[in-house]
Amino acid sequence: MARERNQEDFVTPLKRLLYVLTIAILLLTFLLWRIDSPRVERFRAMVIDRFVPSMDWAMAPVTGSINLIREFQSYQRVVDQNKELRRELQQMKAWKEAALQLEQENARLLDLNNVRLDPQLTFVTGVVLADAGSPFRQSVLLNIGARDGIIDGWAAMDGIGLVGRISGVGQTTSRVMLLSDSSSRIPATIQPSGESALIVGDNSVAPVIDFLENPDQVRPGDRIVSSGDGGVFPSGLLIGHVASDPGGRLRVRLSADYERLEFLRVLRDHGKESIEGTGALIAPENLAPPEPAVVAEEREDE
Amino acid sequence: MSENLTTRLWLMRGAFVALSLVVIFWQLLPMETVPRRFTGPDMMLVMCVLWVLRRPDYAPPLAIAGVMLLADFVFLRPPGLLALTTYLVCENLRARATSVRDMPFSVEWLTAAGGMTAIVLGNRLLEALFLLDHASLGLTLIQLIMSVLSYPLVAILLFVFVGLRKINPSDPELLQGRV
Repeated sequence: MARERNQEDFVTPLKRLLYVLTIAILLLTFLLWRIDSPRVERFRAMVIDRFVPSMDWAMAPVTGSINLIREFQSYQRVVDQNKELRRELQQMKAWKEAALQLEQENARLLDLNNVRLDPQLTFVTGVVLADAGSPFRQSVLLNIGARDGIIDGWAAMDGIGLVGRISGVGQTTSRVMLLSDSSSRIPATIQPSGESALIVGDNSVAPVIDFLENPDQVRPGDRIVSSGDGGVFPSGLLIGHVASDPGGRLRVRLSADYERLEFLRVLRDHGKESIEGTGALIAPENLAPPEPAVVAEEREDE
Repeated sequence: MSENLTTRLWLMRGAFVALSLVVIFWQLLPMETVPRRFTGPDMMLVMCVLWVLRRPDYAPPLAIAGVMLLADFVFLRPPGLLALTTYLVCENLRARATSVRDMPFSVEWLTAAGGMTAIVLGNRLLEALFLLDHASLGLTLIQLIMSVLSYPLVAILLFVFVGLRKINPSDPELLQGRV
């Protein structure tokens, strides 16, 4: 009995110490994150880099089989779908003709204008490993990282449109913040009118178009492309089309297929060259007059 | 007999950590890339509260703190914040677990609901205090309500598959005075 009480006395303060210590550690982690966010975010990238790929072997088959079941459910509607697809195919054929003609015309015009498309716009393709895992965050994790030369801020697209930007790079993984995330802000241009605006994610399927100078010139259906303002993001990437919600606010109907993010292209962007210096005086070579230079030197000496 | 009990204790502790990892894994699966208007329960929260209320000895404080911190890191939440509130509330519940044990299930459910509400509210309060941007109130409330509603279901599932149940006076652990 005496021994038991002894043991009890030994354990209780230790438990209390552990309690206080745990609270202190958690609080410190949080405060450290609040004060020095970049360093802790790098640590987070490291943790995810270690943790998520180790589950990859299980993730791929589970995701695959769930998608299989979902697709199996869609077999029930296969006849209707078939009809609809045929009808769409007809329309598409007409469009294809138009597109071919336009492509040729475009090529001719580009040739006439001597335009060179940006040769540095190459991409790395990654597979989506995981999503954010919480309903409050919109992001996905790719299986490419610093090892593949990925750098924070690069754009990620699916085949058609912009999906998001890289935010957080680990050694073998990197996180893409989707345009729908509530902390996503992308500068954009609205096509026929050339109005510039900011695409602001608000955790809904259709991000808001904000900071629009002249909303009268923008109509639902207009194309939205990234503008590259600020230099962090390549310009001219298709984002989506303008749509207005029942409240009259302009929103983006995204071109990328957010239902099925599987493979994403990360565009390499090496930034724009900046112009340094103000430019020198240009004079003919044989006209360099020695006298004024001497006079100038003498004047400097004085 | 004592050997057996120790093994079982560590097995159940392992089960807690393993199940938490499974929940994290399940939430990470890339199936929901579209923003949702509706959301299911926060399983981690339900699990922590349930284990602490039913069998406090099977959910050691360090495991709760560790698992929640990992979840904070992986789910892009402010690291340590939700872990801190969960830990504090769970320790509070642990202290009350002995009195709740002898009550009917409805009391346990209410206690759990109170605990989960406290965690979510505390989390939100701290977020506001530290000027963090927080998620929409509607979604948070839906998640909380779903968590509370799913509590009995999770209790049943864990009872059937893991054998987690409230301690009985006839249980050898209680007879040996371990709990």
